[in-house]
Amino acid sequence: MMSLTKVSLPEMVKQQYAYKLKAYIQVFMSLVMIQVIAVLFSLGGTGMMGSGGGLIDLELHYYSADVVVAFTILWGFITAVLITTKAYRNDDFLFVTNRITSNFSNMLFLLTASIIGGVTAVLSTFLVKIMISLLKKDLYISGPADLASITDMLSGIFASILYIFLFCALGYLVGTLVQLNRLFAFVLPVVFIGGVFLDGMRGEGAIIQGLYRFFFTEPSIALFSIKVICTLALLFTGAFVLSNRMEVKSS
Amino acid sequence: MSIVECRGLTKTFGGKMALNHFSCSIEENTITGLIGRNGAGKTTFLKILAGYFQQTSGEVRVFSERPFNNLTVSANVLFIHDQLNLPTALTLQEILDTMAGFYKNWDREFAQRLFEYFSFRPSQYHNDLSKGMKSTFNMILGLAARTSLTIFDEPTTGMDAAVRSDFYRALLKDYIAYPRTIILSSHHLEEIENLIEDILLIKEGRELLHIPIADLKEWAIGFQGKTHVVKEWTQGREIIFSKSDVPDYLYVVVKNDFTEVELEKAKVAGISISHVSSSNLCVYLTSKTKGGIDDVFNKG
Repeated sequence: MMSLTKVSLPEMVKQQYAYKLKAYIQVFMSLVMIQVIAVLFSLGGTGMMGSGGGLIDLELHYYSADVVVAFTILWGFITAVLITTKAYRNDDFLFVTNRITSNFSNMLFLLTASIIGGVTAVLSTFLVKIMISLLKKDLYISGPADLASITDMLSGIFASILYIFLFCALGYLVGTLVQLNRLFAFVLPVVFIGGVFLDGMRGEGAIIQGLYRFFFTEPSIALFSIKVICTLALLFTGAFVLSNRMEVKSS
Repeated sequence: MSIVECRGLTKTFGGKMALNHFSCSIEENTITGLIGRNGAGKTTFLKILAGYFQQTSGEVRVFSERPFNNLTVSANVLFIHDQLNLPTALTLQEILDTMAGFYKNWDREFAQRLFEYFSFRPSQYHNDLSKGMKSTFNMILGLAARTSLTIFDEPTTGMDAAVRSDFYRALLKDYIAYPRTIILSSHHLEEIENLIEDILLIKEGRELLHIPIADLKEWAIGFQGKTHVVKEWTQGREIIFSKSDVPDYLYVVVKNDFTEVELEKAKVAGISISHVSSSNLCVYLTSKTKGGIDDVFNKG
Protein backbone atom coordinates (compact mmCIF):
# COMPACT_ATOMS: atom_id res chain seq x y z
CA MET A 1 0.00 0.00 0.00
CA MET A 2 1.37 3.33 -0.95
CA SER A 3 2.15 5.75 1.82
CA LEU A 4 -0.59 8.23 2.50
CA THR A 5 0.17 11.75 3.50
CA LYS A 6 -0.79 12.22 7.12
CA VAL A 7 -1.75 15.69 8.24
CA SER A 8 -2.68 16.98 11.65
CA LEU A 9 -5.67 19.16 12.36
CA PRO A 10 -3.77 22.09 13.97
CA GLU A 11 -1.26 22.08 11.14
CA MET A 12 -4.00 22.39 8.53
CA VAL A 13 -5.83 25.07 10.51
CA LYS A 14 -2.61 27.07 10.57
CA GLN A 15 -2.04 26.55 6.87
CA GLN A 16 -5.60 27.62 6.03
CA TYR A 17 -5.38 30.62 8.32
CA ALA A 18 -2.24 31.80 6.52
CA TYR A 19 -3.98 31.27 3.20
CA LYS A 20 -7.08 33.19 4.27
CA LEU A 21 -5.12 36.19 5.46
CA LYS A 22 -3.79 36.46 1.93
CA ALA A 23 -6.87 35.47 -0.03
CA TYR A 24 -9.39 37.58 1.91
CA ILE A 25 -7.37 40.77 1.54
CA GLN A 26 -10.40 42.61 0.13
CA VAL A 27 -11.95 42.45 3.59
CA PHE A 28 -9.26 44.77 4.91
CA MET A 29 -9.55 47.13 1.99
CA SER A 30 -13.23 47.52 2.75
CA LEU A 31 -12.30 48.15 6.40
CA VAL A 32 -10.13 51.09 5.39
CA MET A 33 -12.90 52.55 3.26
CA ILE A 34 -15.56 52.12 5.91
CA GLN A 35 -13.41 53.71 8.59
CA VAL A 36 -12.59 56.69 6.38
CA ILE A 37 -16.28 57.23 5.77
CA ALA A 38 -16.98 56.82 9.48
CA VAL A 39 -14.30 59.38 10.37
CA LEU A 40 -15.95 61.85 8.00
CA PHE A 41 -19.30 61.21 9.70
CA SER A 42 -17.66 61.74 13.07
CA LEU A 43 -16.74 65.28 12.07
CA GLY A 44 -20.41 66.12 12.21
CA GLY A 45 -20.29 65.48 15.92
CA THR A 46 -22.21 63.00 18.00
CA GLY A 47 -24.13 65.53 20.05
CA MET A 48 -24.83 69.21 20.39
CA MET A 49 -25.94 71.46 23.20
CA GLY A 50 -26.71 75.09 22.90
CA SER A 51 -27.62 77.81 25.33
CA GLY A 52 -27.65 81.57 25.13
CA GLY A 53 -28.52 84.65 27.04
CA GLY A 54 -27.70 88.28 26.58
CA LEU A 55 -24.49 88.69 24.74
CA ILE A 56 -23.39 85.15 25.13
CA ASP A 57 -24.39 82.44 22.72
CA LEU A 58 -22.95 79.06 23.60
CA GLU A 59 -22.88 76.02 21.40
CA LEU A 60 -21.26 72.85 22.56
CA HIS A 61 -20.49 70.05 20.10
CA TYR A 62 -19.43 66.61 21.17
CA TYR A 63 -17.09 64.62 19.00
CA SER A 64 -16.10 61.00 19.39
CA ALA A 65 -14.97 58.00 17.40
CA ASP A 66 -18.03 56.02 18.45
CA VAL A 67 -19.33 56.14 14.91
CA VAL A 68 -16.11 54.50 13.70
CA VAL A 69 -16.49 51.69 16.22
CA ALA A 70 -20.15 51.24 15.28
CA PHE A 71 -19.30 51.10 11.58
CA THR A 72 -16.51 48.64 12.26
CA ILE A 73 -18.93 46.42 14.18
CA LEU A 74 -21.24 46.45 11.18
CA TRP A 75 -18.27 45.68 8.95
CA GLY A 76 -17.38 42.70 11.16
CA PHE A 77 -20.90 41.35 10.86
CA ILE A 78 -20.95 41.67 7.07
CA THR A 79 -17.47 40.19 6.71
CA ALA A 80 -18.50 37.16 8.73
CA VAL A 81 -21.61 36.65 6.61
CA LEU A 82 -19.50 37.05 3.49
CA ILE A 83 -17.02 34.31 4.33
CA THR A 84 -19.81 31.81 4.88
CA THR A 85 -20.99 32.21 1.29
CA LYS A 86 -20.27 29.48 -1.23
CA ALA A 87 -17.75 31.53 -3.17
CA TYR A 88 -15.54 31.59 -0.08
CA ARG A 89 -16.48 28.30 1.56
CA ASN A 90 -15.99 26.20 -1.56
CA ASP A 91 -12.52 27.64 -2.15
CA ASP A 92 -11.32 25.73 0.90
CA PHE A 93 -12.15 22.43 -0.72
CA LEU A 94 -9.56 22.80 -3.40
CA PHE A 95 -7.06 22.55 -0.58
CA VAL A 96 -6.73 20.08 2.24
CA THR A 97 -9.68 20.62 4.52
CA ASN A 98 -12.60 19.29 6.39
CA ARG A 99 -15.44 21.30 7.89
CA ILE A 100 -13.72 21.55 11.26
CA THR A 101 -10.47 23.04 9.97
CA SER A 102 -12.43 25.30 7.68
CA ASN A 103 -14.50 26.64 10.57
CA PHE A 104 -11.54 27.03 12.89
CA SER A 105 -9.50 28.90 10.34
CA ASN A 106 -12.49 31.14 9.65
CA MET A 107 -12.82 31.83 13.35
CA LEU A 108 -9.14 32.71 13.63
CA PHE A 109 -9.45 34.92 10.61
CA LEU A 110 -12.44 36.74 12.10
CA LEU A 111 -10.55 37.19 15.38
CA THR A 112 -7.65 38.72 13.48
CA ALA A 113 -10.02 40.95 11.56
CA SER A 114 -11.67 42.02 14.84
CA ILE A 115 -8.32 42.86 16.41
CA ILE A 116 -7.24 44.92 13.42
CA GLY A 117 -10.67 46.56 13.21
CA GLY A 118 -10.82 47.27 16.95
CA VAL A 119 -7.35 48.76 17.20
CA THR A 120 -7.76 50.99 14.14
CA ALA A 121 -11.24 52.08 15.21
CA VAL A 122 -10.12 53.23 18.65
CA LEU A 123 -6.96 54.83 17.32
CA SER A 124 -9.04 56.78 14.82
CA THR A 125 -10.01 58.98 17.81
CA PHE A 126 -6.72 60.76 17.26
CA LEU A 127 -7.46 61.31 13.62
CA VAL A 128 -10.85 62.76 14.49
CA LYS A 129 -9.24 65.09 17.07
CA ILE A 130 -6.60 66.30 14.67
CA MET A 131 -9.11 66.94 11.94
CA ILE A 132 -11.42 68.84 14.26
CA SER A 133 -8.65 71.05 15.60
CA LEU A 134 -7.56 71.71 12.03
CA LEU A 135 -10.94 72.19 10.40
CA LYS A 136 -13.03 73.73 13.15
CA LYS A 137 -11.59 77.05 14.19
CA ASP A 138 -13.54 77.26 17.41
CA LEU A 139 -12.33 76.63 20.89
CA TYR A 140 -11.33 73.04 21.48
CA ILE A 141 -11.87 71.61 24.94
CA SER A 142 -10.39 68.27 25.81
CA GLY A 143 -12.93 65.69 26.84
CA PRO A 144 -12.46 62.83 29.24
CA ALA A 145 -11.05 60.71 26.44
CA ASP A 146 -8.06 63.04 26.13
CA LEU A 147 -7.30 62.69 29.77
CA ALA A 148 -7.66 58.92 29.68
CA SER A 149 -4.64 56.92 30.71
CA ILE A 150 -3.02 54.33 28.52
CA THR A 151 -4.75 51.55 30.47
CA ASP A 152 -8.14 53.14 29.74
CA MET A 153 -7.19 53.29 26.11
CA LEU A 154 -6.19 49.64 26.14
CA SER A 155 -9.39 48.57 27.83
CA GLY A 156 -11.25 50.61 25.22
CA ILE A 157 -9.47 48.72 22.48
CA PHE A 158 -10.09 45.41 24.23
CA ALA A 159 -13.82 46.11 24.58
CA SER A 160 -14.07 47.24 20.95
CA ILE A 161 -12.38 44.05 19.78
CA LEU A 162 -14.81 41.98 21.81
CA TYR A 163 -17.80 43.87 20.42
CA ILE A 164 -16.60 43.43 16.85
CA PHE A 165 -15.79 39.77 17.38
CA LEU A 166 -19.19 39.25 18.99
CA PHE A 167 -20.89 40.59 15.89
CA CYS A 168 -18.56 38.55 13.69
CA ALA A 169 -19.72 35.44 15.52
CA LEU A 170 -23.32 36.50 15.12
CA GLY A 171 -22.75 37.16 11.42
CA TYR A 172 -21.04 33.79 11.04
CA LEU A 173 -23.99 31.98 12.57
CA VAL A 174 -26.48 33.99 10.51
CA GLY A 175 -24.46 33.31 7.34
CA THR A 176 -24.30 29.61 8.13
CA LEU A 177 -28.04 29.46 8.72
CA VAL A 178 -28.69 31.18 5.41
CA GLN A 179 -26.35 28.73 3.65
CA LEU A 180 -28.25 25.89 5.27
CA ASN A 181 -31.58 27.20 4.08
CA ARG A 182 -32.29 30.29 2.00
CA LEU A 183 -35.46 30.85 3.97
CA PHE A 184 -33.42 32.23 6.86
CA ALA A 185 -32.42 35.18 4.69
CA PHE A 186 -36.05 36.33 5.03
CA VAL A 187 -36.90 34.93 8.43
CA LEU A 188 -34.00 36.43 10.42
CA PRO A 189 -34.54 40.09 9.40
CA VAL A 190 -38.26 39.67 10.07
CA VAL A 191 -37.52 38.30 13.54
CA PHE A 192 -35.10 41.13 14.29
CA ILE A 193 -37.25 44.00 12.99
CA GLY A 194 -40.34 42.35 14.43
CA GLY A 195 -38.58 42.25 17.80
CA VAL A 196 -37.85 45.97 17.61
CA PHE A 197 -41.49 46.72 16.75
CA LEU A 198 -42.76 44.47 19.49
CA ASP A 199 -40.58 46.28 21.99
CA GLY A 200 -41.92 49.58 20.71
CA MET A 201 -45.56 48.52 20.85
CA ARG A 202 -45.39 47.17 24.36
CA GLY A 203 -43.53 50.26 25.45
CA GLU A 204 -40.97 48.22 27.34
CA GLY A 205 -37.69 47.09 25.93
CA ALA A 206 -37.85 43.39 26.52
CA ILE A 207 -36.17 41.55 23.70
CA ILE A 208 -33.83 43.68 21.63
CA GLN A 209 -33.32 46.34 24.27
CA GLY A 210 -32.76 43.67 26.85
CA LEU A 211 -29.96 42.24 24.74
CA TYR A 212 -28.58 45.71 24.24
CA ARG A 213 -28.53 46.35 27.97
CA PHE A 214 -26.98 42.97 28.62
CA PHE A 215 -23.97 43.69 26.43
CA PHE A 216 -23.63 47.43 26.10
CA THR A 217 -24.26 48.79 29.57
CA GLU A 218 -22.06 46.48 31.58
CA PRO A 219 -19.74 48.65 33.68
CA SER A 220 -17.32 45.90 34.73
CA ILE A 221 -14.86 44.95 32.02
CA ALA A 222 -14.28 41.54 33.58
CA LEU A 223 -17.96 40.71 33.73
CA PHE A 224 -18.42 42.06 30.24
CA SER A 225 -15.61 39.82 28.95
CA ILE A 226 -17.16 36.78 30.53
CA LYS A 227 -20.56 37.58 29.02
CA VAL A 228 -19.09 38.09 25.56
CA ILE A 229 -16.81 35.06 25.64
CA CYS A 230 -19.67 32.79 26.72
CA THR A 231 -21.88 34.17 23.95
CA LEU A 232 -19.05 33.75 21.45
CA ALA A 233 -18.66 30.13 22.45
CA LEU A 234 -22.39 29.55 21.97
CA LEU A 235 -22.54 31.29 18.59
CA PHE A 236 -19.50 29.56 17.14
CA THR A 237 -20.50 26.15 18.47
CA GLY A 238 -23.88 26.64 16.83
CA ALA A 239 -22.29 27.53 13.50
CA PHE A 240 -19.78 24.66 13.72
CA VAL A 241 -22.40 22.06 14.51
CA LEU A 242 -24.77 23.30 11.81
CA SER A 243 -22.14 23.40 9.08
CA ASN A 244 -20.45 20.13 9.94
CA ARG A 245 -22.78 18.13 7.71
CA MET A 246 -23.01 20.71 4.97
CA GLU A 247 -22.24 19.50 1.46
CA VAL A 248 -20.12 21.31 -1.07
CA LYS A 249 -22.38 22.41 -3.87
CA SER A 250 -21.18 24.47 -6.74
CA SER A 251 -22.98 27.49 -8.16
CA MET B 1 -5.40 -3.19 -2.51
CA SER B 2 -8.32 -1.14 -3.70
CA ILE B 3 -8.24 2.59 -3.27
CA VAL B 4 -11.93 3.09 -3.83
CA GLU B 5 -14.51 0.66 -2.60
CA CYS B 6 -18.21 1.24 -2.70
CA ARG B 7 -21.25 -0.92 -2.25
CA GLY B 8 -24.88 -0.06 -2.81
CA LEU B 9 -24.07 3.63 -2.99
CA THR B 10 -27.23 5.70 -3.32
CA LYS B 11 -27.58 9.45 -3.46
CA THR B 12 -30.86 11.27 -3.91
CA PHE B 13 -31.45 14.93 -4.53
CA GLY B 14 -34.96 15.91 -3.60
CA GLY B 15 -36.46 12.60 -4.66
CA LYS B 16 -34.40 12.18 -7.81
CA MET B 17 -31.88 9.37 -7.65
CA ALA B 18 -28.48 10.46 -8.90
CA LEU B 19 -26.85 7.23 -7.81
CA ASN B 20 -28.83 4.06 -7.49
CA HIS B 21 -27.10 1.21 -5.63
CA PHE B 22 -23.82 1.92 -7.31
CA SER B 23 -21.00 -0.52 -6.55
CA CYS B 24 -17.43 -0.62 -7.71
CA SER B 25 -13.89 -1.13 -6.60
CA ILE B 26 -10.95 0.72 -8.08
CA GLU B 27 -7.48 -0.72 -7.70
CA GLU B 28 -4.34 1.10 -6.72
CA ASN B 29 -2.18 2.65 -9.46
CA THR B 30 -4.63 2.45 -12.31
CA ILE B 31 -6.12 4.98 -14.64
CA THR B 32 -9.84 4.44 -14.78
CA GLY B 33 -12.08 6.11 -17.30
CA LEU B 34 -15.50 6.96 -15.97
CA ILE B 35 -17.85 7.09 -18.91
CA GLY B 36 -21.52 7.93 -18.96
CA ARG B 37 -24.13 10.16 -20.49
CA ASN B 38 -25.02 13.57 -19.15
CA GLY B 39 -26.83 13.13 -15.86
CA ALA B 40 -25.76 9.52 -15.44
CA GLY B 41 -24.33 10.29 -12.00
CA LYS B 42 -20.64 10.64 -12.84
CA THR B 43 -20.07 13.91 -11.03
CA THR B 44 -22.18 12.86 -8.05
CA PHE B 45 -20.07 9.74 -7.65
CA LEU B 46 -16.83 11.70 -7.90
CA LYS B 47 -18.04 14.30 -5.42
CA ILE B 48 -18.81 11.59 -2.92
CA LEU B 49 -15.29 10.23 -3.36
CA ALA B 50 -13.85 13.69 -2.83
CA GLY B 51 -15.85 14.13 0.36
CA TYR B 52 -18.07 16.88 -1.04
CA PHE B 53 -21.30 14.95 -0.75
CA GLN B 54 -22.53 12.49 1.79
CA GLN B 55 -24.27 9.42 0.44
CA THR B 56 -27.94 8.85 1.22
CA SER B 57 -27.31 5.17 1.82
CA GLY B 58 -24.76 2.50 1.03
CA GLU B 59 -21.07 2.30 1.82
CA VAL B 60 -18.11 4.12 0.43
CA ARG B 61 -14.45 3.82 1.37
CA VAL B 62 -11.50 5.75 0.00
CA PHE B 63 -8.15 4.49 1.34
CA SER B 64 -10.36 2.36 3.62
CA GLU B 65 -11.81 5.50 5.24
CA ARG B 66 -15.11 7.31 4.91
CA PRO B 67 -14.37 10.28 2.65
CA PHE B 68 -16.96 12.75 3.97
CA ASN B 69 -15.41 15.34 6.27
CA ASN B 70 -12.17 13.37 6.42
CA LEU B 71 -8.88 15.24 6.63
CA THR B 72 -6.68 12.30 5.59
CA VAL B 73 -8.80 11.68 2.51
CA SER B 74 -8.75 15.37 1.70
CA ALA B 75 -4.96 15.46 1.96
CA ASN B 76 -4.60 12.57 -0.47
CA VAL B 77 -7.34 13.29 -2.96
CA LEU B 78 -7.47 16.13 -5.41
CA PHE B 79 -10.68 16.67 -7.32
CA ILE B 80 -10.32 18.77 -10.44
CA HIS B 81 -13.56 19.72 -12.20
CA ASP B 82 -14.65 22.41 -14.60
CA GLN B 83 -16.59 24.39 -12.01
CA LEU B 84 -13.61 24.69 -9.75
CA ASN B 85 -13.70 27.97 -7.86
CA LEU B 86 -10.30 29.37 -7.17
CA PRO B 87 -9.69 32.22 -4.75
CA THR B 88 -10.32 35.38 -6.74
CA ALA B 89 -7.88 37.55 -4.79
CA LEU B 90 -4.84 35.41 -5.52
CA THR B 91 -2.74 35.50 -8.67
CA LEU B 92 -1.96 32.27 -10.47
CA GLN B 93 1.51 32.19 -8.96
CA GLU B 94 0.09 32.68 -5.46
CA ILE B 95 -2.34 29.84 -6.05
CA LEU B 96 0.53 27.54 -7.00
CA ASP B 97 2.42 28.58 -3.86
CA THR B 98 -0.65 27.96 -1.71
CA MET B 99 -1.11 24.51 -3.23
CA ALA B 100 2.51 23.74 -2.44
CA GLY B 101 1.84 24.56 1.21
CA PHE B 102 -1.13 22.24 1.42
CA TYR B 103 -0.07 19.23 -0.63
CA LYS B 104 3.01 17.45 0.67
CA ASN B 105 3.89 15.79 -2.65
CA TRP B 106 3.52 18.98 -4.68
CA ASP B 107 6.25 19.25 -7.31
CA ARG B 108 7.14 22.92 -7.56
CA GLU B 109 9.52 22.55 -10.45
CA PHE B 110 7.13 20.45 -12.51
CA ALA B 111 4.31 22.92 -11.89
CA GLN B 112 6.54 25.80 -12.90
CA ARG B 113 7.60 24.12 -16.11
CA LEU B 114 4.02 23.35 -17.13
CA PHE B 115 3.07 26.89 -16.15
CA GLU B 116 5.67 28.29 -18.51
CA TYR B 117 4.99 25.80 -21.27
CA PHE B 118 1.35 26.87 -21.46
CA SER B 119 2.49 30.53 -21.32
CA PHE B 120 0.68 31.64 -18.20
CA ARG B 121 1.84 34.85 -16.59
CA PRO B 122 2.40 34.75 -12.82
CA SER B 123 0.43 37.96 -12.23
CA GLN B 124 -2.73 36.77 -14.01
CA TYR B 125 -5.95 36.06 -12.14
CA HIS B 126 -7.91 32.87 -12.64
CA ASN B 127 -11.14 34.79 -13.24
CA ASP B 128 -9.62 36.59 -16.21
CA LEU B 129 -8.69 33.37 -18.01
CA SER B 130 -10.72 31.95 -20.85
CA LYS B 131 -12.57 28.69 -20.31
CA GLY B 132 -9.90 26.60 -21.99
CA MET B 133 -7.12 28.35 -20.12
CA LYS B 134 -8.92 27.77 -16.83
CA SER B 135 -9.10 24.05 -17.60
CA THR B 136 -5.43 24.07 -18.52
CA PHE B 137 -4.49 25.75 -15.27
CA ASN B 138 -6.67 23.34 -13.27
CA MET B 139 -4.91 20.49 -14.99
CA ILE B 140 -1.53 21.80 -13.82
CA LEU B 141 -2.89 21.76 -10.26
CA GLY B 142 -4.12 18.20 -10.70
CA LEU B 143 -0.86 16.91 -12.10
CA ALA B 144 1.62 18.70 -9.86
CA ALA B 145 -0.17 17.84 -6.60
CA ARG B 146 0.64 14.14 -7.13
CA THR B 147 -2.05 13.05 -4.71
CA SER B 148 -2.54 9.31 -4.23
CA LEU B 149 -5.96 9.65 -5.82
CA THR B 150 -6.43 12.29 -8.47
CA ILE B 151 -9.86 12.83 -9.95
CA PHE B 152 -10.40 14.70 -13.19
CA ASP B 153 -14.02 15.44 -14.01
CA GLU B 154 -14.36 16.59 -17.61
CA PRO B 155 -10.86 18.04 -17.51
CA THR B 156 -10.64 19.07 -21.14
CA THR B 157 -13.71 21.32 -21.28
CA GLY B 158 -12.91 24.23 -23.57
CA MET B 159 -9.37 23.13 -24.36
CA ASP B 160 -8.30 23.22 -27.99
CA ALA B 161 -7.13 20.04 -29.71
CA ALA B 162 -3.43 20.76 -29.23
CA VAL B 163 -3.71 21.43 -25.51
CA ARG B 164 -5.94 18.41 -25.13
CA SER B 165 -3.38 16.06 -26.60
CA ASP B 166 -0.65 17.78 -24.57
CA PHE B 167 -2.67 17.17 -21.46
CA TYR B 168 -3.17 13.50 -22.11
CA ARG B 169 0.49 13.07 -22.93
CA ALA B 170 1.59 14.92 -19.80
CA LEU B 171 -0.81 12.86 -17.72
CA LEU B 172 0.52 9.60 -19.10
CA LYS B 173 4.19 10.54 -18.73
CA ASP B 174 3.72 11.75 -15.19
CA TYR B 175 1.68 8.68 -14.32
CA ILE B 176 4.46 6.40 -15.52
CA ALA B 177 7.07 8.35 -13.56
CA TYR B 178 4.91 8.61 -10.43
CA PRO B 179 2.29 5.86 -10.45
CA ARG B 180 -0.88 6.78 -8.60
CA THR B 181 -4.58 6.21 -8.92
CA ILE B 182 -6.33 8.41 -11.42
CA ILE B 183 -10.01 8.63 -12.30
CA LEU B 184 -10.83 10.43 -15.47
CA SER B 185 -14.38 11.21 -16.46
CA SER B 186 -15.27 12.16 -19.97
CA HIS B 187 -17.97 12.10 -22.60
CA HIS B 188 -15.40 11.34 -25.24
CA LEU B 189 -14.10 7.82 -24.89
CA GLU B 190 -12.17 7.96 -28.17
CA GLU B 191 -9.99 10.67 -26.63
CA ILE B 192 -8.96 8.76 -23.55
CA GLU B 193 -9.22 5.26 -24.95
CA ASN B 194 -5.46 4.91 -25.36
CA LEU B 195 -4.76 6.32 -21.96
CA ILE B 196 -7.00 4.45 -19.59
CA GLU B 197 -6.53 0.93 -18.34
CA ASP B 198 -9.99 0.24 -17.02
CA ILE B 199 -13.33 1.55 -18.05
CA LEU B 200 -16.19 2.11 -15.66
CA LEU B 201 -19.42 2.61 -17.48
CA ILE B 202 -22.24 4.26 -15.60
CA LYS B 203 -25.86 4.50 -16.65
CA GLU B 204 -28.74 6.01 -14.73
CA GLY B 205 -26.83 5.92 -11.47
CA ARG B 206 -25.73 2.30 -11.72
CA GLU B 207 -22.52 0.67 -12.79
CA LEU B 208 -22.99 -1.05 -16.12
CA LEU B 209 -19.56 -2.40 -16.87
CA HIS B 210 -16.17 -2.26 -15.19
CA ILE B 211 -13.58 -4.06 -17.30
CA PRO B 212 -10.12 -3.47 -18.75
CA ILE B 213 -10.37 -1.29 -21.84
CA ALA B 214 -8.64 -3.98 -23.90
CA ASP B 215 -11.49 -6.36 -23.14
CA LEU B 216 -14.05 -3.79 -24.19
CA LYS B 217 -12.75 -3.93 -27.75
CA GLU B 218 -13.66 -7.61 -27.93
CA TRP B 219 -16.77 -7.33 -25.83
CA ALA B 220 -19.28 -6.93 -28.62
CA ILE B 221 -19.53 -7.66 -32.29
CA GLY B 222 -21.51 -6.21 -35.20
CA PHE B 223 -23.61 -8.31 -37.58
CA GLN B 224 -24.83 -6.92 -40.83
CA GLY B 225 -26.88 -8.60 -43.51
CA LYS B 226 -30.37 -9.55 -44.68
CA THR B 227 -32.85 -8.94 -41.89
CA HIS B 228 -34.14 -12.50 -41.59
CA VAL B 229 -30.63 -14.00 -41.62
CA VAL B 230 -29.32 -11.61 -38.99
CA LYS B 231 -32.41 -12.15 -36.84
CA GLU B 232 -31.97 -15.87 -37.03
CA TRP B 233 -28.33 -15.66 -35.96
CA THR B 234 -28.88 -13.26 -33.13
CA GLN B 235 -31.91 -14.95 -31.70
CA GLY B 236 -31.61 -15.47 -27.96
CA ARG B 237 -28.52 -13.30 -27.79
CA GLU B 238 -28.13 -10.08 -25.89
CA ILE B 239 -28.86 -7.40 -28.46
CA ILE B 240 -27.20 -4.11 -27.63
CA PHE B 241 -28.12 -2.08 -30.66
CA SER B 242 -29.93 -2.53 -33.91
CA LYS B 243 -30.35 -0.28 -36.88
CA SER B 244 -31.92 -0.63 -40.30
CA ASP B 245 -30.93 2.02 -42.80
CA VAL B 246 -31.87 0.12 -45.93
CA PRO B 247 -35.12 -1.89 -46.03
CA ASP B 248 -34.65 -5.58 -45.40
CA TYR B 249 -31.12 -4.95 -44.23
CA LEU B 250 -30.19 -4.99 -40.58
CA TYR B 251 -27.19 -4.04 -38.48
CA VAL B 252 -27.12 -5.54 -35.01
CA VAL B 253 -24.60 -5.27 -32.21
CA VAL B 254 -24.57 -8.27 -29.89
CA LYS B 255 -22.48 -9.36 -26.95
CA ASN B 256 -19.57 -11.35 -28.28
CA ASP B 257 -19.99 -14.81 -26.81
CA PHE B 258 -19.75 -16.59 -30.13
CA THR B 259 -17.16 -19.23 -30.84
CA GLU B 260 -14.80 -19.00 -33.81
CA VAL B 261 -16.71 -21.77 -35.56
CA GLU B 262 -20.02 -20.04 -35.13
CA LEU B 263 -18.62 -16.83 -36.58
CA GLU B 264 -17.28 -18.69 -39.59
CA LYS B 265 -20.70 -20.24 -40.15
CA ALA B 266 -22.35 -16.87 -39.90
CA LYS B 267 -20.00 -15.48 -42.52
CA VAL B 268 -20.89 -18.32 -44.84
CA ALA B 269 -24.59 -17.54 -44.26
CA GLY B 270 -23.95 -14.10 -45.74
CA ILE B 271 -23.48 -11.96 -42.68
CA SER B 272 -20.66 -9.46 -42.64
CA ILE B 273 -19.06 -9.32 -39.24
CA SER B 274 -17.39 -6.20 -37.95
CA HIS B 275 -15.70 -4.91 -34.85
CA VAL B 276 -17.50 -2.32 -32.81
CA SER B 277 -15.35 0.59 -31.73
CA SER B 278 -15.21 1.14 -28.00
CA SER B 279 -16.70 4.59 -28.19
CA ASN B 280 -19.64 3.47 -30.32
CA LEU B 281 -20.19 0.56 -28.01
CA CYS B 282 -20.34 2.90 -25.04
CA VAL B 283 -22.89 5.04 -26.79
CA TYR B 284 -25.01 1.97 -27.55
CA LEU B 285 -24.67 0.61 -24.04
CA THR B 286 -25.60 3.81 -22.31
CA SER B 287 -28.45 4.56 -24.65
CA LYS B 288 -31.95 4.37 -23.20
CA THR B 289 -33.41 2.63 -26.24
CA LYS B 290 -32.11 -0.03 -28.58
CA GLY B 291 -32.35 2.07 -31.71
CA GLY B 292 -31.00 5.39 -30.48
CA ILE B 293 -32.30 8.66 -31.88
CA ASP B 294 -33.80 6.80 -34.84
CA ASP B 295 -36.55 5.59 -32.55
CA VAL B 296 -37.84 9.14 -32.30
CA PHE B 297 -38.37 9.21 -36.05
CA ASN B 298 -39.73 5.68 -36.43
CA LYS B 299 -43.34 6.17 -35.44
CA GLY B 300 -44.30 2.68 -36.26
